[in-house]
Amino acid sequence: MALEIAPASRGIQKARARAGFLFALLAAAAAAPLSGCVSLPQTEGLRAAAPAGLPARTELLDVAFHQQDDFLCGPAALAMAFDAAGVAATIASLTPLVYLPGRQGSLQAEMLGATRRHGLVAYTPPPRLESVLREVASGTPVVVLLNLGIRLVPLWHYAVLVGYDLEAGHVVLRSGDAPRKVVPIGFFEYLWQDSGYWAMLALAPGRVPPSAREPEFAAAVAALERAGRVRESRASYRALLERWPQSLGGLVGLGNAEYALGKRAAAERAFRRATLAHPDSAPAFNNLAHVLGELGRHAEAEAAARSAVALGGPTLAQAQKTLAEILARRASRP
Amino acid sequence: MSNAFIRFVSRILVVCMIGMPFSVQAGLVGTGEAVSAAQAQVARDAVLRVIDRAEIAQQLQTLGLSPQAAKDRVNALTDSEVAQLAGRIASAPAGADGSGVVLLILIVALVWWLWK
Repeated sequence: MALEIAPASRGIQKARARAGFLFALLAAAAAAPLSGCVSLPQTEGLRAAAPAGLPARTELLDVAFHQQDDFLCGPAALAMAFDAAGVAATIASLTPLVYLPGRQGSLQAEMLGATRRHGLVAYTPPPRLESVLREVASGTPVVVLLNLGIRLVPLWHYAVLVGYDLEAGHVVLRSGDAPRKVVPIGFFEYLWQDSGYWAMLALAPGRVPPSAREPEFAAAVAALERAGRVRESRASYRALLERWPQSLGGLVGLGNAEYALGKRAAAERAFRRATLAHPDSAPAFNNLAHVLGELGRHAEAEAAARSAVALGGPTLAQAQKTLAEILARRASRP
Repeated sequence: MSNAFIRFVSRILVVCMIGMPFSVQAGLVGTGEAVSAAQAQVARDAVLRVIDRAEIAQQLQTLGLSPQAAKDRVNALTDSEVAQLAGRIASAPAGADGSGVVLLILIVALVWWLWK
């Protein structure tokens, strides 16, 4: 197995590691009789039948390596993923955005948040070996959360998947201080499974990954919009709509982004498309009504607002407010 | 004054101090809400969401962040991420050291050795 020994870090951490090691050994010894066999369903699935259309091997040689210091695998993994998406970042610039001193590590949610703060779509692909291999094959490095300890004593670690070889049966990772760590696929699955096969992509605006599913990807773009990166989210909504022209999240999201950027006419077009594709969506009618009202098209605005109110649902209060505003505006300027 | 009352007041104050920047544009239904409006269980109170965010920001501060950094970080999360994090910020996986690989190999070897 081509796994290198990490160089010794500072004294305290060595002592900690040694104490942790002893504890982990004891825990492993205690847990061993309880555990059944090691099950690697995804690796077995891959071995049984190679996924259609997946190249036998790929390696993204261009993904620059950022060597991590102690505890900073989160910033290091993000820096590599951001580089590949065309956004320059360093471990030093990312540490204040993801590293949590009190936890001596980085939380998954904050890895996603920091990605959005750099204007990139943070997307978590389906928890399948096949999905992440497809992403690598399409040119996107994948940040994965591995457990390098055992279930009882987890040692969470972020690494970047940059390559694989189905025939040789291994994957290639950038991890810690190893720029090219080759790990057997089964062992990779074993390390990866405790995180629920958690992975994330950092995607340049306008890019839709091959493993994307419509509702999840729309939600990922909406999260970018919500984080204030509206211009970038607009590019991704447009790309999303090219793949799924009827997407409710895509249409309402595009309208909201256009509106936030001051493009009311474009927002109206997007919301109208949303109402035509989803005549049961109260938010689509509410937002259309709001924009039409601002554009001074009061009769159309009132009709749309009444549709939104009639549809009810969890956004009913907002729809009633929109209708009241439109009626007040009509009354003051008939 | 009871503890619960003090907790309540401080929550409100926290919301007033740092919750406001989290509020969404008036008039339009946000994209996230529009998509999830179909699912009934997501019909959560907007005020509750703001309190969740304020609490996470507060917890991040106790884990070593400045108030501004905590606020900026929470603002980059979705409602569901905030809800997932609430109450488990101290136990959620925090990816850290990569040098545990050596340790893992030894553990795996030991497990296999015990198993055979």
